Amino acid sequence: MTQISDQNTDPRWGMVIDVNRCVGCQTCTVACKHANDTVPGVQWRKVLDVETGAFPDVERLFLVTGCQHCEEPPCVPVCPTGATKQRADGLVTMDYDRCIGCASCAVACPYQARTIVHDQRWYYGQETLQEKYVDHKERRGVAQKCTFCIDRVDDGLAAGLTPGVDPDATPACSAACIASAIQFGDFNDPDSNVSRLIRDNDYFQMHAELNTDPQIKYLYSTPAVPGRDVKDVDVSDETLSDPSNPLVGQLQTFWDMRAAMNFILGGFGAGFALISYLLYLTAGLDGETLTHAYVLAGGIIAVGLFFVWLKIGRKLRAPFAILRPQTSWMSREIYAVGVFYLAMLADLAFNVPSLHFLTAAAAIVFLYCQTRILHMSRGIPAWRVRMMPTMLMATGVFEGIGVAALAVVIAMPALSGIYLLSAAGILMAAINALLWQTYLQRARKAGIGPLARGVLAKATPRLHLVGHLLPIVFFAADLLWPGGPMWPLAVAGVFTLAGGAYWKSVLITKAAYQQGYALAKFPQRGSGQFAAPPLV
Amino acid sequence: MPKKNVKQVPIFCYQCVAGPDLMKVEVEDGIATRIASNFDIREEHPGGGRVCVKAYGLIQKTYNPHRVKQPMKRTNPKKGRDEDPGFVPISWDEALDIVGKKIKETLADGPLDESGYPKIAASFGGGGTPTQYMGTFPALLSAFGGVDLGFGAGQGVKCYHSEHLYGELWHRAFIVAPDTPHCNYILSFGHNGDASAGVAGIWRHADARVRGMKRVQVEPHLSVTGAVAAEWIPIKPKTDVAFLYAVIHRILHERDWRLICDMERIRDDSNAPYLLGPNGYFLRDPETLKPLMYDLSDNTAKPFDADIKDPALEGTYTCAGVEDGPDGQQWHHDAVEVQPAHQKLIDHIAPYTPEWAAAECDVPADRIRRVADEFVEQATVGATIEIEGRTLPNRPVAILLGKTVNNGWGGYNACWARTLLLTLVGALEVPGGMIGTNVKLNRPADDRFVSAVMNRDGFMEFPFNETSKQEWQAKPHIRNAYRTLVPLVANSAWSPALGPAHLPWLFQKKPPDHWPKPTKPEIWFCYRTNPAISSWNAPEVAKRVAEFPFIVAFSYTYDETNHFADILLPENTDLESLQLIQIGNTKFIEQLWGHEGWAIRQPAGEKVVDSMDMTDIATALAERGGLLKAYNQAINRGAAGQRLVTDDYDYGLDEEVPHACEEIWNATAKAASHVMTGGEKVVDIDWFKENGYMLRPFSKLHWYLYPRLKDQGIRFEQPYQERILRHGTQLAHRLHEIGVEWWDEQLEEYEALPEYKPFPDIWTDYVKDAGQSPDDYPFWALTARSMQYSWGANVGIPLINEVAQNIAGHKGVIVNRSAAKKLGLEDGDPVVIESVSGVSTGYAVLREGIRPDTVLMIGQFDHWKTPYAKDLHLPSLNSLTDLSLKLTDSTGSGSDITRVRITKGKGPKRAAA
Repeated sequence: MTQISDQNTDPRWGMVIDVNRCVGCQTCTVACKHANDTVPGVQWRKVLDVETGAFPDVERLFLVTGCQHCEEPPCVPVCPTGATKQRADGLVTMDYDRCIGCASCAVACPYQARTIVHDQRWYYGQETLQEKYVDHKERRGVAQKCTFCIDRVDDGLAAGLTPGVDPDATPACSAACIASAIQFGDFNDPDSNVSRLIRDNDYFQMHAELNTDPQIKYLYSTPAVPGRDVKDVDVSDETLSDPSNPLVGQLQTFWDMRAAMNFILGGFGAGFALISYLLYLTAGLDGETLTHAYVLAGGIIAVGLFFVWLKIGRKLRAPFAILRPQTSWMSREIYAVGVFYLAMLADLAFNVPSLHFLTAAAAIVFLYCQTRILHMSRGIPAWRVRMMPTMLMATGVFEGIGVAALAVVIAMPALSGIYLLSAAGILMAAINALLWQTYLQRARKAGIGPLARGVLAKATPRLHLVGHLLPIVFFAADLLWPGGPMWPLAVAGVFTLAGGAYWKSVLITKAAYQQGYALAKFPQRGSGQFAAPPLV
Repeated sequence: MPKKNVKQVPIFCYQCVAGPDLMKVEVEDGIATRIASNFDIREEHPGGGRVCVKAYGLIQKTYNPHRVKQPMKRTNPKKGRDEDPGFVPISWDEALDIVGKKIKETLADGPLDESGYPKIAASFGGGGTPTQYMGTFPALLSAFGGVDLGFGAGQGVKCYHSEHLYGELWHRAFIVAPDTPHCNYILSFGHNGDASAGVAGIWRHADARVRGMKRVQVEPHLSVTGAVAAEWIPIKPKTDVAFLYAVIHRILHERDWRLICDMERIRDDSNAPYLLGPNGYFLRDPETLKPLMYDLSDNTAKPFDADIKDPALEGTYTCAGVEDGPDGQQWHHDAVEVQPAHQKLIDHIAPYTPEWAAAECDVPADRIRRVADEFVEQATVGATIEIEGRTLPNRPVAILLGKTVNNGWGGYNACWARTLLLTLVGALEVPGGMIGTNVKLNRPADDRFVSAVMNRDGFMEFPFNETSKQEWQAKPHIRNAYRTLVPLVANSAWSPALGPAHLPWLFQKKPPDHWPKPTKPEIWFCYRTNPAISSWNAPEVAKRVAEFPFIVAFSYTYDETNHFADILLPENTDLESLQLIQIGNTKFIEQLWGHEGWAIRQPAGEKVVDSMDMTDIATALAERGGLLKAYNQAINRGAAGQRLVTDDYDYGLDEEVPHACEEIWNATAKAASHVMTGGEKVVDIDWFKENGYMLRPFSKLHWYLYPRLKDQGIRFEQPYQERILRHGTQLAHRLHEIGVEWWDEQLEEYEALPEYKPFPDIWTDYVKDAGQSPDDYPFWALTARSMQYSWGANVGIPLINEVAQNIAGHKGVIVNRSAAKKLGLEDGDPVVIESVSGVSTGYAVLREGIRPDTVLMIGQFDHWKTPYAKDLHLPSLNSLTDLSLKLTDSTGSGSDITRVRITKGKGPKRAAA
């Protein structure tokens, strides 16, 4: 139950969903599909069929899901174009003509509310007459999600109707619901239906611990069936590892190896720029060679950016990605890489210490932006952990050593002070190994589910061997064999890069399970321990 | 972008029996684009004016590229599942000429064949919903002068069979429903109302739950209805009767029934005080033959309608009287020991203790006791409520029976026990309790009160099919022989469909002894039904269909039944056709309205294939078949839903000429509005097209039959079933007189107080009879309603499939997770499900909400012809159940249950969605 303020004059649209009313009929799902013309496989509103417990102590319930129009929507700040915004009335909106389809919002949403459809889809495999009329070409390749039927709300208000009261001004799912389970209204109006419902009943918000303050609030008790705390419900690893469990987050497919390549090569390039600058400061690398090293770093970064450009849904709109530097780390990444390339070119032309520094600094900022992009993906528990920026920065530095090792062997064999590189390599290998172990140890507590943890654990031996142990061995060989051949250094560099590429690809394409769904409270019903108490 | 030429067209959805619900179709440039509820009627409609998920499939149904796009003619005379029908397009003229000529030839020497069966047969989909779409086709059926409507399309999951028959007998309840707005406690035995009771059911129950109503769901698997119940009791399949009997036992033997039951209702409104003679029949007054009661106030036996101050319910008395037995046999007693029916009941129920039931149904005895006590407590015996100014008993408890519970063997026991329990606490046909919603076997069908008149024994009259020697119909008049075999099914327009509707398919293969030759219909019309999928042993039914010589199938897409057809006639579908239907009043499941009236279905968009309205098809066939006058006469008599000519008005059609669809419904619109308004506001079809519906108030007092009975002094015929005993005995005599012995097991079911039998054994014995070991078939296979699919002919609609996938069970067969582990099955594994009579394949869906000895296949699938559906690879119980006399009860019904084994199949796991 909650206290409702009547101070705010702006409406705050939201929903109250009564878990005790919903029978899982999917009328809301299909009404939404009609009202919003979504294509096959896309459900802005979806009702899950949830089961918990073990026979004969079982509970089954239906969970209405979709965009929660959070008070603090994680999808909005990450949008690099401003295509996703939040209005004063709380609605989180989509501008299909501005969106580039980068999917930052999709991986940021802990409610799996967003979809990107790249291909043309017809229900019967061929376009029907009706589909000609309800096709939305503007949605192809861009993010889409529930809008709380924003047009119905706005048009209804303009027509003097009251959203949540008049069906024509109410989101289609709510208006269509045949159990009155989905109520829509203004949380800022203390007399609205939704305000009364949360005032008079217990409710929970999904993933409240993520501080998104979602504006779908779930009622879970009635006079006949009081609610229960979630501690009674099976949240064991076995349950949360079951792919048929609808609560379990699916592996995200928005970002694939193309996106991973940006993080891999971004780390390689930016790290190399940093290490080259450090070699310039400490190991006698001359300024001209440094500018050449920057060009190489720039080339590596460019290839990574090219890969990620291949992934976005609307490639020609890529420049829009600079429009949100005030919040988006992707926009900032572009600005940083822009500064890097300008500085790199200027340095190539003028070869001066200030530009040497600026280029390296821009590369590091670029790398930091990348770390924050992943960290801000709050829909992916394996990415959003607090130590993710540290891990990616440390890896970037390590990878820079790896690239530098190769570069030294191939192009700069006479460079003095190389032992520093190998020593740093050993140190960074150890730090990275330590960070990885810490990451694994904290994974469960950090909310990373068993499926993702399983992937990470499975990757660990290979990562430690290839990415940490072997680099240490060969960097040590280089150190302990003064005047010896250069190949151990080169081998160390190769393993360093292989290790970095490996764990980032695993993290982004294999361990990237979405948040999934959860009920903080359960109605008390079902059988055995879940059943409502006897009446007599 | 502003929309051009957009309009909202009001129509109705009656895709399932729980309708109708009203909706609006958004039409843009003649193309139907979207569906939404018709919120104009949200205050009056008991489901808030909403339509359910199925309605939204109608757009894709209309524009389905797999539609039959013009009339088709079969070119391959060979019929078989593996035969290509060789359908070729023909014109409507040619198609109608062929069928019209065939009708004319067939009826030339009368409507009956050499066996006395109608030469023309027709089958429709379940629940009477096809009549809400078939326009004036009923008038054509009427004009045939005889048509066999007894080839069923499957009962089982689609039918509350026993409830229909016994419900109408006991309280004019073809369908029973709780008085949900007032009910506080529902004991539900597998009643899957949140999947099957439509919008109104879901709407009203959601309100009731929030208000505080408690529902206890007793069922082997946790259905969507069980999911929102306050408690799930996972009972062993087909043992619900044991639970019910133990509840009765608890009340009558372990509690003091004199204190907790509604004694006034038992004494004054049931046959509990009726005295029973030694032969099991009421002891009657020798002169008037009125049943006697024993008045303790002066220790004399008196006719039930005499002034009896203190009727005995218990004890044994010595009285004089006569027992009026079967076939006129009478036993005259000068002084004989007799007992009230209530005493008989107490004795009858004595063995059925909760401990006995626990062993039978796998529910702990204390849990049964607790439920029984809750039920009695919640009945609030003695409480009253005022409904529209009249004070009535308030008994907010109800008992619901699912289809497999009240169908087939055990259905009689379950219906009897349920109705008896409600009688004991006075919850029958009163606010808060169990009420009937409509009648189909009694006439008139539009008002269930009218037929509630007293018979000689103080109960409601009931139109049993005669079993007396003089009047019994020894020769079946249609192939399912309902008038011959099932006295209880009466003889209304609905009776053929409620007879033993699967027996014609069975008898076509192997006729029983001493029975008329089971001829094939010379013409079989098939409308909105697919018996080759929806019947028990569907593959066998498909073979029988293939033997029919001439099949006219009204077809939307190709399907498993019209695969065998000779002519396909594509009718206008839901968004393309015109019809007026009655709405409101009290209808089926939970459609209990405070209004009544009419609603329209009209063409919403432009037609996209060369289809034709059913009304125009019926008219054209009537004309070509030489039946136009009879057809028009039938319409004038009301075959389109409203009489067009009465003493008050005349909107009649000229009987000599054909009339266009629009003209016929225009006349109906005028007649209907005339009746609605007493002639004050007569409107035409255009008015309905614009406004969608017309309503007038309907008294909620008309929801409850009890006041109507009370006013006439009529008693509920509970607990003792003397009429059933008499009819059963007489029927046995009749059948034995003609040498029929294959119905003997069914005849044993005609008991005055039905005894419990171990019903599950019927199906394990069936395995043994097939020469196999029940141990090899360790699972009970059940089915359950899919709200998304049921009745909508929407199995070929991808949108429906997409959203249905969100609900467990729409991906395969549900198996208990632990049981599956023992079999080495994982979720998504391919499986083979086998019974002694059939096989089905699909994928395993592992869940916890199902007993380890039970598997569940939702809906009806296993399609092999219907486009899109045939690629769903979903299993079906109908491929596993059998058509069998052994599995048929006395009302001609069977159950959706069989014993199966399940093994891992070949091939990859089910692909992720």
